[in-house]
Amino acid sequence: MAHKFTTDAIIGLEVHVQLNTKTKLFCSCPTNVAEPNTAICPTCLGHPGSKPVLNSKALEFATKLSLALGCTIAPTAVFSRKTYFYPDLVKNYQITQYEVPLGSHGIIILDIGKLIRIERVHLEEDPGALIHESGATLIDYNRSGIPLCEIVTHPDMHSPAEAREFMKKLLNILGYLGLFDQNTCVIKADANVSIREKNYERVEIKNITGFKEIERALTYEIERQKQQDVRRETRGWNAEKGTTYTLRLKETEEDYGYIVEPDLPLFEIDPNWIRAIKATIPELAEARAARWVSDWKIDETDAKIIAANIDVAELFETIAKKIDPVFSSRWVRREILRLLNDEKKELRETQFRAQELIELFKLLIDKKITDRIGQRIIEQLAKKQFSPAAYVKEQNLVMVADENTLEKICKTIIEQNKKAVQDYKNGEEKSLMFLIGQVMKQTKGTAAPNVVKELLKSLLA
Amino acid sequence: MQKFIQDAKTGNIDLVDHTHKAIEQAEKINKEYRYITAWADAISRAEELQKLAKTGKATGKLFGVLVSAKDNLCVKGVETTASSAILKGYKPLFNATSVQKCIDEGAIILAKTVQDEFGFGGFSINTGIGIEKPLNPHDKKRTCGGSSGGAAGLTQKANFPHLALAESTGGSIADPASFCGITGLTPTYGRVSRYGLIDYANSLDKIGTMAKNVEDAALLLDIISGKDDHDSTSQETHGPTLVDTASAIHGLRIGIIPETIGEGLDNGVRKAVTTALYKLEQNGARKIELSLPVSMKYGLATYYTLAMSEASTNLAKYCGMRYGASDQLSAPYNEYFTRVRTANFGEEAKRRILLGTFTRMAGYRDAFYKKAAQIRTKIIQEYAEAFNKVDVIITPTMPVVAPTFDELKKLNPLQNYLMDVLTVSPNLAGIPHISIPCGTSNGMPVGLMITGPHFAEHKIIQVAKAYGA
Repeated sequence: MAHKFTTDAIIGLEVHVQLNTKTKLFCSCPTNVAEPNTAICPTCLGHPGSKPVLNSKALEFATKLSLALGCTIAPTAVFSRKTYFYPDLVKNYQITQYEVPLGSHGIIILDIGKLIRIERVHLEEDPGALIHESGATLIDYNRSGIPLCEIVTHPDMHSPAEAREFMKKLLNILGYLGLFDQNTCVIKADANVSIREKNYERVEIKNITGFKEIERALTYEIERQKQQDVRRETRGWNAEKGTTYTLRLKETEEDYGYIVEPDLPLFEIDPNWIRAIKATIPELAEARAARWVSDWKIDETDAKIIAANIDVAELFETIAKKIDPVFSSRWVRREILRLLNDEKKELRETQFRAQELIELFKLLIDKKITDRIGQRIIEQLAKKQFSPAAYVKEQNLVMVADENTLEKICKTIIEQNKKAVQDYKNGEEKSLMFLIGQVMKQTKGTAAPNVVKELLKSLLA
Repeated sequence: MQKFIQDAKTGNIDLVDHTHKAIEQAEKINKEYRYITAWADAISRAEELQKLAKTGKATGKLFGVLVSAKDNLCVKGVETTASSAILKGYKPLFNATSVQKCIDEGAIILAKTVQDEFGFGGFSINTGIGIEKPLNPHDKKRTCGGSSGGAAGLTQKANFPHLALAESTGGSIADPASFCGITGLTPTYGRVSRYGLIDYANSLDKIGTMAKNVEDAALLLDIISGKDDHDSTSQETHGPTLVDTASAIHGLRIGIIPETIGEGLDNGVRKAVTTALYKLEQNGARKIELSLPVSMKYGLATYYTLAMSEASTNLAKYCGMRYGASDQLSAPYNEYFTRVRTANFGEEAKRRILLGTFTRMAGYRDAFYKKAAQIRTKIIQEYAEAFNKVDVIITPTMPVVAPTFDELKKLNPLQNYLMDVLTVSPNLAGIPHISIPCGTSNGMPVGLMITGPHFAEHKIIQVAKAYGA
């Protein structure tokens, strides 16, 4: 069989994102985490006589995502029934979009400039959750009816790393749009993967959670395909073992007997409504980073890292408009992001505000305080809001650069650390660092480190 | 009816005593004719209303009136099965909007009335496994018609003030109304909320009313009409209330479709209908011959294709897992589902699941399901054009009078479906129609069907009243 493909591996993704609406897609049950089988009603349990009513917020969110991915929006939103029997599917059909997806012809561009085409973006309801526990299978219908957005790509990715990058970029966009809460919402992907050696026989891997897992699962699967016979099949991903396993063979294409959902009308989509939604889409991370690099000459890596999170990006922009952007970018990346990372916190969980940080960075730029004092104040600003300038004054933390004052201290330190002095004289450079550290300690970190270094060097010469 | 409501409100009638007697009578009727599948707690409700009457707080357009609901309408806490064994024991958690609206107007819900399982039939002989078939109130050897057979039979037999909530997908109100000799009013699709209706074919299902006369059927329809947030396909209605519609016929243009009173029609039915038409003409109506070729030729096939496609998805949810009939739960799940479904669905339900699944499968979808959807649009257009020329269309409701059970046994499924030829097209187009009694043939009632454009219920009612129903 002839293929249009030429690359070693072909990868296409179907990504499912839970939209963070307050209520479910077709009923008013809450979407927040609750005790199993408590956030349910006749509609999301599929009781006889119940009818779906579309949550317009979900339609808005899915439209927003479609637009952010550069999709064309369909003139009408149409829902269909996809029929298959499964215990977690209350009606034994899923309400989804089939013939006309909400969004189509979108795109995500990878860093190397490769285009990953997005075939469709559509809305659908999540089934309940099956929980396998001590030999039994339990069902939690709280998840039944949660709005999902499905994003289907063309098979444009050629390595697990590209799939990972795609997912990461998608997650970033979702975060920017505020449609996805990393703490409570779940992102899952089904990956289609085939390799040249096996004549591109297609295997689908279901239910891979998160972008790191995508790379792991695909790396494993490609290796497996190289070593084993490949059949057209659907496989599962065991994240614990790091292996894929056969779920079912695909001898024929599944037939879901789609019909139009007759309980829902066609929803006309007003171009003015689309324009209004478009207006709420913020400048996305990549565009922002590129602008910082060109306008403010910020290091490209710093820019990308800061732009990755919309809250951090907004904070940085506010600061950078007031004071030296390059200086600010270094401090935001090296100190603020490090701190968030170490403490596994979101920016909004801290007390950081532009106002105090601008004041602090000014003190640093004007050499009123040392870096060490700056770092210490940042740690405290994470916990409470206060004026760094007042604090420095109050605590007597102004940088000491006066040579006479520092010389006295240096001499004392030399007196007290004879062994280190001897080691330094014997050629051990790090002993000088130790001595500088002792001076800093003595001055509670206020001594200007470069002045101290020069003084010590000359005193010990 | 209005006098009864007034007397109930003012306490001139002892409502509890009245209700006791009515139930007693209904029980007697039921024993003989099998119209009822489950009883609501009418006495408690009557006591509650009686208290209101005593304290002068009685309100509502249906105060004290006993209303029965077709078994496919959810009544909170009362077994609701759409006359299917697969829903045995199911007690809904909420009232259908149409039921709730009656309650809000002071009605007493009496009982659930028997039907063809999920509405699958025109003779009420396809009741679910273990559920008895209702008998015609005029001749127990004959069918009530269907699928709202119990509703029509009870409406005919009840001697107490009673109104029936019924439902039509392809003719299930007009057909039994015709066979039982009562008034059956099927509204425009979307006029009445379907919330709480157990679906047969969602794009076709319409909740309507049955009564002994046009005025009472109109009264009940007024009450249950209107937009409902729980049903996205429901619509707000405008215009005057239907119950006040006056009789009017002079100068009205009545459309006649020649083939509907031509060959294949029972002679007695033809005679009754042509006599009725003659009477309307005498009163000033103008008869205009119409041709509806698409509806006449493709209506039945289109109806059954769409209805079965939707029905086969609607019935998927009944699998013995969450409500209704169940069995010893065991893996694998698909074998369990098959076991429960095999044991609890009747023959006709199974037939429609198979046919409806076939018509929407890949490879057949375009030829059947999608084609049928296109023809439906054509039929809607054809009616719209016809209503440019005429005000209403009149046909017989059914081509025959109620057949005997023996006669029905001889029909194959296709001949059985052909009986719906006159009712399916208005149902497909979602346009309102009313069946009223117009004489008899061999002692059995004949139904006259008056059809109007979308949301023109008042037009068909004014003609029905002019006829004297």
